[in-house]
This record gives sequence, structure tokens and C-alpha cells, in this order.
Amino acid sequence: MSEEDTEAPDRSTLPGLGMDTVVGYVLLAGVLLSIALIVSGLAWHWAATGHLELTYRIAGMNLLQFVSSDAGQFASRPLDPQTIVSAGMAVLMLTPYVRVIASVAYFALAERNWKYVAFTTFVLGVLTYTLFLR
Amino acid sequence: MVPFWILFLVAVAAGLVGSMTGMGGGVVLVPALTLLGVDIKHAIATSMIAVIATSSGSAAAYVRDRITNLKVGMFLEMFTILGAWVGASITLAAGRRWLFILFGAILLASAVSMLAERRRDRQAAPEQDKFTHWLELEGSYYDSAEQQRIDYTPRRAYLGGPFMFGAGLIAGLLGIGAGALKVLIFDVVMGMPSKVSTTTSDLIIGVTALAGTSVYLAAGLIDPGRAAPVILGVLAGAYVGTRVLVRLTNRAVRMLFVVVLLGLGGQMVWRGIQGGL
Repeated sequence: MSEEDTEAPDRSTLPGLGMDTVVGYVLLAGVLLSIALIVSGLAWHWAATGHLELTYRIAGMNLLQFVSSDAGQFASRPLDPQTIVSAGMAVLMLTPYVRVIASVAYFALAERNWKYVAFTTFVLGVLTYTLFLR
Repeated sequence: MVPFWILFLVAVAAGLVGSMTGMGGGVVLVPALTLLGVDIKHAIATSMIAVIATSSGSAAAYVRDRITNLKVGMFLEMFTILGAWVGASITLAAGRRWLFILFGAILLASAVSMLAERRRDRQAAPEQDKFTHWLELEGSYYDSAEQQRIDYTPRRAYLGGPFMFGAGLIAGLLGIGAGALKVLIFDVVMGMPSKVSTTTSDLIIGVTALAGTSVYLAAGLIDPGRAAPVILGVLAGAYVGTRVLVRLTNRAVRMLFVVVLLGLGGQMVWRGIQGGL
């Protein structure tokens, strides 16, 4: 085994350096924010009612309607636990979507790899369409 | 209505078993929820959103460790999201009995595959074809166990795509990550190292699950009161399973899980045949 083989990876020269970091942190931030929101909403609900069961339902709506309705509630009236839990779920669902947007941007702006810009744009297009499903 | 703590504990157990066996939490979660009286379509939809959480959480760590092959993932997720979308649409239209039977059959098949020891030496894949070369999928990673950099050359991406459509279809149809199937495709069809296969599978499961979740959300099958404890429980179980407990290697423990899978799979097939859901 050569000395080169046993060296720890030189992260600055490995391919895909920036992309790994961007994608990794987008996913991590999304999951952590989502957990924080869901736990906060449930804790508030428990403090207010003495139990953890949430009884509200989401009528059939697409994800963008779900997100905009939640954002509208954030903006227009006092916060309540349900809105915070819904925000956590919306953040969770949007995390892979934001990851794909970050991938398109990275391939286009940093790597200028148009082949992968096309692939990731296709994925983004299909996902966007499913988010508008109703 | 199932109490919060029951849902949470069941989800912890599902996340624990799923991470220890490498099958993902959905395989245990969906049958467990149906045993608690949750309608199977709601159980599948709830599991699908939990899959986003577990796959995104584990993918975040693996991607930053630079084991995941991002280009392979981003090429193949074109196929998995279409499969998941079709699969979830089929679930909405399918009869519940057939969903029970199909899910049970998948569990029984998983039990059989767990019984078979995984072959360690992969057969040498053929030379890299022009299409896979054009996709620039070659990669390398630092293997901390072997303390060396491993270079690898994926092959047969033209077969990987259609196979991944099938894996996405099963994932969307049944509300599972179908990670074991995706790893098998990376491993056997595309000749990729096991560590890269597992981590790249985690990356694409999140996007695949989102495509399925969107369909279920639009159909009104996502219930926050059920989803919230399940998301938190599966994440907690998966975290404990991967960080605290060793990966499943002991044959006796493996056999215990095989029995669990056979039991869950058998009862689902039986309930489907009986029709008393």
C-alpha cells in the first residue's frame, strides 16, 4: 500500500467539494429546524391542554397551498401550537426540494456542468409539478 | 384515535429495527400502524413523510463525509421520483385488500432475503459502457476502516435507471424507502462499493418520498396528529439504532427479526385474503 493510499482525504482536492457541503448542510438544517418546530409546537400544546394529541386535520391540499396557508397564519393571527407543528412538517417536506434547488444552482453556477443542470432541473420540474397536485 | 405515546413508541421501535436491519422504518411502521387500527392508506401516507425525515437525517451526515456519489444519485432520482409518483397514485386507486397482500408479500420476501447471507465478493462487472462514462459517474471515497482511498467506476447506468423506476414505484406504492432494493441495484447492477451504495440510496430516498408524500397530502391522507409523533419517534429510533447499537450481525438476532417479519408479513397477507380489515 503506498503512502498516498494511507493518507486521510485531502478534502480540498476531492471532487465535488462544495457540492457535498452545500447538500449536507441543507439537509441537516432542514431536519433540525423541522424537529425543533414540531417539538416546540407539541410542547406548547401540552402546556396549554395537558395532553399531546393533536386533533386538527389537513384537508386535501397540495404542498404549496399547505405552506402558503401556514405562512398566512403566521402572518395574520397570533401563533398557535398547530401552526408551529404544521410549519415543522412543511419544512420537512420542503427539505429535499430545497436540496434539489441547491443542486441545480451549484451545477449551473459553480461547476457549469450543463448535463447535470439538465438532470437536476428535470427532477425539480417533476417535484414542482407534484407540489402543485390537487 | 391512537394515543400520542403509543404512536411515538411504535415509531421508535420501527426506526430502531429499520436502522439495525438496514431495511428502513417503513417496513415495520406500516403493518404496526394497521395493527393499531389505522387505515392502511393513512398508514402508508404517514410512513412516507417519516421516510423523508430519516433519509434526510442520515444522508446529511454521509454526504458531508463524502462517501455519497452525488452524480449517481442525481441521475437516478430522475427515475425514482417518477416511479414514486406512479406508485402513490396506484395506492390511491387500489383496493385495501390488495395493499395488505402486496405489503405482506414484500415483508415475506424481505424475510427470505435476510435469511440468505449477503455475498461478500461481488462479481466483476463488465467494462464501463459509453453511456455511464458520458455520465461522469466515477468516484472515490476515503474508507476509514481500511484507511485508504477507494476509487471505483460505476457501470451499466442504462440498466440502473429503469430498475430505479421500479424501486421508486414500490416505495411510493407502499410508503417505504425501499432502500434495500436500491442498494441491491447499485451493488449488483452498477457494481458500486457497498458503502457508496448505502449512502447514495439514502440521498435519493428523501426526494423519492417527497414525490409520494405530495400525492398523499393532496389526497388528504396526511394527518398531523399522527404524523408528528411518528416523525419524532422514527428519527429517535433510527438515531439510537445507528449510533448506539451495533449493526445487525449476530445470526441469532437476525433470526429474531426474520421471525418478526414473517409474523407481520403473514398476518398482513392473511388480513388481505380474509378481507376483514
